[in-house]
Amino acid sequence: MKDNNYAITVKDVYKDFKLSSDKPYTLKERLIFSNKNKKEIRSILKGINIKIEKGETVALIGVNGSGKSTLLKLMTKIIYPTKGKLYVKGKIASLLELGAGFHPDFTGRENIYFNASIFGLSRKEIDQRIEDIIKFSELGDLIDTPVRTYSSGMYMRLAFSVAINVDADVLLIDEILAVGDQHFQDKCFDKLMELKKSDKTIVIVSHSLDSVKKLCDRAIWIFEGKVRKDGNTQEVIDEYLKVCQ
Amino acid sequence: MNVLGRLYEYRELLKSNIKKEIRGKYKGSFLGILWSFISPLLMVLVYAIVFPYILRVKQENYFIFIIVAIIPWTFFTNVITQGTTAILSNANIIKKVYFPREILPISVATSGLINFFISCIIIFIFVIFSGIGLSKYVLLLPVIALIQYFLSLGLIFITSSINIYMRDMEYIIAFIMQILFYATPIIYSIDMFPEKYRWILNINPLAAIMASYRDILFYKQMPNLTSLGVVTLISFLVLIIGYVIFRNLEKGFAEEV
Repeated sequence: MKDNNYAITVKDVYKDFKLSSDKPYTLKERLIFSNKNKKEIRSILKGINIKIEKGETVALIGVNGSGKSTLLKLMTKIIYPTKGKLYVKGKIASLLELGAGFHPDFTGRENIYFNASIFGLSRKEIDQRIEDIIKFSELGDLIDTPVRTYSSGMYMRLAFSVAINVDADVLLIDEILAVGDQHFQDKCFDKLMELKKSDKTIVIVSHSLDSVKKLCDRAIWIFEGKVRKDGNTQEVIDEYLKVCQ
Repeated sequence: MNVLGRLYEYRELLKSNIKKEIRGKYKGSFLGILWSFISPLLMVLVYAIVFPYILRVKQENYFIFIIVAIIPWTFFTNVITQGTTAILSNANIIKKVYFPREILPISVATSGLINFFISCIIIFIFVIFSGIGLSKYVLLLPVIALIQYFLSLGLIFITSSINIYMRDMEYIIAFIMQILFYATPIIYSIDMFPEKYRWILNINPLAAIMASYRDILFYKQMPNLTSLGVVTLISFLVLIIGYVIFRNLEKGFAEEV
C-alpha cells in the first residue's frame, strides 16, 4: 500500500442504510411483497475522505445523526461501506459498546478473559494483563462474583478497563468519557493522555468539547455526512460552536 | 484472505467459544453432559423396537447395527441445526464488536466433533459387549469423522449466513434433515433400498459416510475407499464454496440481524 504512514485511511466512503418499516424476513414475504416493499434508502455518509497518521489523537464532532458513529463503526469493521475504501492498520480496540459480550452469569474475571479474547488476545497475553485490568477497574474482591451482581457503573468500569488494556494500536472511542463517577472519569482521562503519549492512534466521538480540547490535537467536524472542517481542535470547535448557536 | 492466520490470532476466542458451546448446552439440566449419551441412546431404543418387532426388519444385531450410524447422524444434525442459527443467536455481539465471524460456525462444528468423539465411547462399549468387537479399521474413525466435520462446516457456512437474510432457513433445514434421515442408510442397509432408486443414495454424500462408519464398526471391514474419496472431494468443495458465500454475506450481518 502507498499510504504507509497512515493508521487510518478513509477513501471516498459512502454509507447507505436501507430503511424499510417491514423487512421481508421470510421467504413468503420476500416473494409476495418483493415489489410492493419500497425500500427507502438513507445515505448517512456521502463521500468521506480522512487520513489519520499513526500516533494522532483525533476527535470527531458534529450534531446527532451526522454520521460520526457510523464512521466509527465502519473503522471497526462491524459494518462495511456501500462505496469507497477504508483501511485501518494494526490491532483495533473499539470502545463503542462497552461490555459487549459480557456474560451475566460469569464472574468478572471470566468475563475479562472472554472480552479480551474478542479483541484477539491470547491466553498468555491476557494472563499478563489481568492484574492491571483488575487494578484499574478498582473492583477488588468483587472481580470473582458474577457480573449480574454489578451496578451499571461497576459494569462499565470493568468493560473500560479491559478495552483500554488490550494494548491496541488504534483505539476507537464512542462517547464514553462519561464512565463511572468523577474519580473514575479522571482516571480514564489520565489513561487516555498516557496512551496518547505512547504513540497510539486514538479516534474519539464526543460531545464533551472540553475534554476533546484537552485531549485531541485535531478535530474533524462531520456535517450531514460530509467533512465540514478538519484541522486544529480549537479552530474547528470554535467554528462548530458558532454555527450551532 | 489469510484465513488461518486470523483464526490463529483469535484462537483464545475460538477456544472459549467451543467450551461455552459444550458446557453451555446442558446448563441447568440435571443430567448435564450425560444427555449427549442418553438422547441418541433413547432414539436407538425406539428404532430397535419399532423396526424388528413392528415392521419386521430382519437384520442381525439390529441394535448395534443402528447405533453405529445413529450416533454419527446425531453429530451431523446437531451441527446443522445449531450451526444454522449460530450467527442469529449471537446477534448482540455481532452488532457491537468486530471479530472474525467464521469463529461462530467453526465453534459449533468443532464442539459437535468433540461431543461425537466422547459419544464414541458408547459405540465402543456396545460393540465390545455385544461380541462384535473392535478391529484395526476403527483407526479410520477419526478420518471419517473429519470428512463429516468439513462437510457439515461447509454446509453451515451457507445456512447460517443465509438465515440472517431469510429466516425460513431454520425451518427448511429442519424439514430437509428429516427427509435426509430416511434417504441415508441409517436404520436400513444400502441393499435394502429399492434398486430402482439406489441413485438417491449415490448422490447423497452422507450415505457414503454412514456406510463407512458401519463398515469399520459393524462389519469390521475396509470401507469403500473410492466413494469415501469422492465424498472427501465433495466435502472440501462444499467447504470452499460455503466459505466464499459466508465471506460475501458476512458484510451485512451487523445490519441485518
